[in-house]
Amino acid sequence: MVKSIVKRDGRVVLYDENKITAAILKSLKAAGEGDAEQAEQVAHAVGKRLDALPQENPRIEEIQDIAEQELMHAGFENAAKQYILYRAERTRIREAKTSLMHAIDEITNVDARQSDMKRDNANIDGNTAMGSMLQIGTAGAKAYNAAYLLTPEQSKAYAEGDIHIHDFDFYALTTTCCQIDLLRLFKGGFSTGHGYLREPQSIGSYAALAAIAIQSNQNDQHGGQGVPNFDCAMAQGVAKSFARLYRRKLRDALEDVLDSEDETELARQATEAGEEATGHPARLEIDAERFDEAVCAALVGTGRLDEKAAASIVRRARRRAAESTDRDTFQAMEGFVHNLNTMHSRAGAQTPFSSINYGTDTSPEGRMVIRNILLAEDAGLGHGETPIFPIHIFKVKEGVNYNPGDPNYDLFQLSCRVSAKRLFPNYVFLDSPFNLQYYRPGHPETEVATMGCRTRVMGNFYDPEREIAYSRGNLSFTSINLPRLAIESKGDEALFYEKLDAMMEMVAQQLLDRFEIQASKRVYNYPFLMGQGVWLDSDRLGPNDEVREVLKHGSLSIGFIGLAETLTALYGHHHGESEEMQEKGLQIIGHMREFCDRRGKEMGLNFGLLATPAEGLSGRFLRMDQKRYGIIPGVTDREYYTNSFHIPVWYEISAYDKINKEAPYHALTNAGHISYVELDGDTANNVEAFEAVVRCMHDAGIGYGSINHPVDRDPVCGYVGVIGEVCPRCGRREGEELSPERIAELKKLYPEVTAFCGCE
Amino acid sequence: MAVKTNVSAKNGKDVGFERIRRITGYLVGTMDKWNDAKKAEERDRVKHGLSR
Repeated sequence: MVKSIVKRDGRVVLYDENKITAAILKSLKAAGEGDAEQAEQVAHAVGKRLDALPQENPRIEEIQDIAEQELMHAGFENAAKQYILYRAERTRIREAKTSLMHAIDEITNVDARQSDMKRDNANIDGNTAMGSMLQIGTAGAKAYNAAYLLTPEQSKAYAEGDIHIHDFDFYALTTTCCQIDLLRLFKGGFSTGHGYLREPQSIGSYAALAAIAIQSNQNDQHGGQGVPNFDCAMAQGVAKSFARLYRRKLRDALEDVLDSEDETELARQATEAGEEATGHPARLEIDAERFDEAVCAALVGTGRLDEKAAASIVRRARRRAAESTDRDTFQAMEGFVHNLNTMHSRAGAQTPFSSINYGTDTSPEGRMVIRNILLAEDAGLGHGETPIFPIHIFKVKEGVNYNPGDPNYDLFQLSCRVSAKRLFPNYVFLDSPFNLQYYRPGHPETEVATMGCRTRVMGNFYDPEREIAYSRGNLSFTSINLPRLAIESKGDEALFYEKLDAMMEMVAQQLLDRFEIQASKRVYNYPFLMGQGVWLDSDRLGPNDEVREVLKHGSLSIGFIGLAETLTALYGHHHGESEEMQEKGLQIIGHMREFCDRRGKEMGLNFGLLATPAEGLSGRFLRMDQKRYGIIPGVTDREYYTNSFHIPVWYEISAYDKINKEAPYHALTNAGHISYVELDGDTANNVEAFEAVVRCMHDAGIGYGSINHPVDRDPVCGYVGVIGEVCPRCGRREGEELSPERIAELKKLYPEVTAFCGCE
Repeated sequence: MAVKTNVSAKNGKDVGFERIRRITGYLVGTMDKWNDAKKAEERDRVKHGLSR
């Protein structure tokens, strides 16, 4: 007589035939056959079989095997099938739980330096409590989403590495990113959910609120946050600051000259006269003469000052106001940069991924913003460190800032100088045909802006009247493992395209499935993004409304990785090596773009082709393919796949050739693209050379470009530049200490260095 | 060897150099935090010359 059984976790418990009866009855019921009495009979038959077994305590799996067999013996084939299916489902869920538990174990106990999984996102410190909690949440969400939200086909493709669903942890929750129109947001003030913030009235407040807006929006979305019109928006703050400072400086000067206690009233009257004469408050440069003349006349009119004295006071007031405004602007920009490098979002685990676009505002205020944000970037953080955020994007435009004589050409040159040192700004080229097609002078919302990572949302199949950069962003993206398709095609081009088409179909459908979930959310699920009207048209919705319609302004992107390896797998060479391969490459990417356009037009949704940024993905696909196919020279023989359509990083090629080879792909990847050039440190210190590379990008029709060069820093002496083995400033090697005399000498030579690390 | 700058080292002892590199469009202060694949890629990166 069977007395005990062994459960899966090893526990030994009393045998209870009633439990078997219950399970069998469930299966009978599910199949619509048999009754309770027959269930008991089958259970009894199972019990008899167990008695006949040689071992003392049968295991659960054995018992279940026998139960299946006895059901079939008794003629209940449908019930047996139900029993088997239920058992398989329980196994699948149990295994998912186990792998989830393992993941949480790794997150909790393993140092991030040893755990590649914990370094999936370099922006999150996986060793802190908050970082770990965030990663645990991620693991849990992924397990749930995989079990319940994907179709078996999608789940398989994702798990096996045919596709990669980005930000899969947030699948059920939100969308990727947004370009925040700060002008719109600030107008009339806004709320972050904890109290109301009045419309800012000075450049300091504008900058502070800009950081808050980025942080707040980051809490509603899983991707980055961009500002498409940073110069235009901050310019308003500069204008307000100047107007106020003009009046204040005027008052101060009057009190000094007239030797009185309070000339607020006189200053007010006088500036009002200026406002009447020009139709606006005191402004930098604009209508300066006319404004000041009116102010002068008002002062003289009181009889307390003569012409000469009044003119002198007004001149002084304007000059001081301009200087103070400039100083305030610099401090505001510096504070902004510092904020974005230190404030945390996402459960305290991560600094928001922030980007700012600027360069085209030619007003005096806009220029003051641009100059000072560049100078703030140049100055760096507290110890002169290179800021990580925000990503700066300088919008290059002929007639505005690109050519000598253009109103902002000096700022373009300054940007090159700063970028040569600090790696930012990156450059967006508004004259490239695929960007120029949207551009309308006087309408900054038609200037292509980008997220720092490269996401670009400009065209609009859903609403062709609104092909603008403001208030839109990406909804989600999924990338295709292109090299694998090539490997599987074994040199057969037609087969490759067949597989590619099938894969794109599946991905397009998966993007739609995910959109379905996102679309059914309500405004209250996005208290800032939608509740405060940041997303396009969300201000037309009430708190309980579905966000479906307005979300359609966003992009659904199909991404890819490893064009170089794909070409090598198919044809033996990559596109850096020959014109023929370049043709083939353009063919593939062009084909993908055509699919996206077709689908987008058909459905009135913004399907687009993305040159995926691929941080974690670069290794994931490669590792799985290496396991599956072994080492294929030129394809799987490294630890990563080449990013998007890039010429491989290891391939010797001139900057000029690389830029010109990659540029045509920018036209095809409308959802986002970037090209990099690697310069050695020496060239980077040669600003003319740096500018030449930027100009080369412009001429080639690049959409978004970035120049990389080594940026090293010695924390001990504060030197920022290229450091090989030995620091050029103090002569130290890594880990070496300096003599106290040497340190004293350096402190004298470089007083601007605030801290000599380790030397206090 | 990148040691954080608020370490209480004596006169620079054990203080390494900071090497800032662009990962995928954004910068990360130390390469400690990069995943293995991106580290490998950074090692392979060659420089691009300026002559045509």
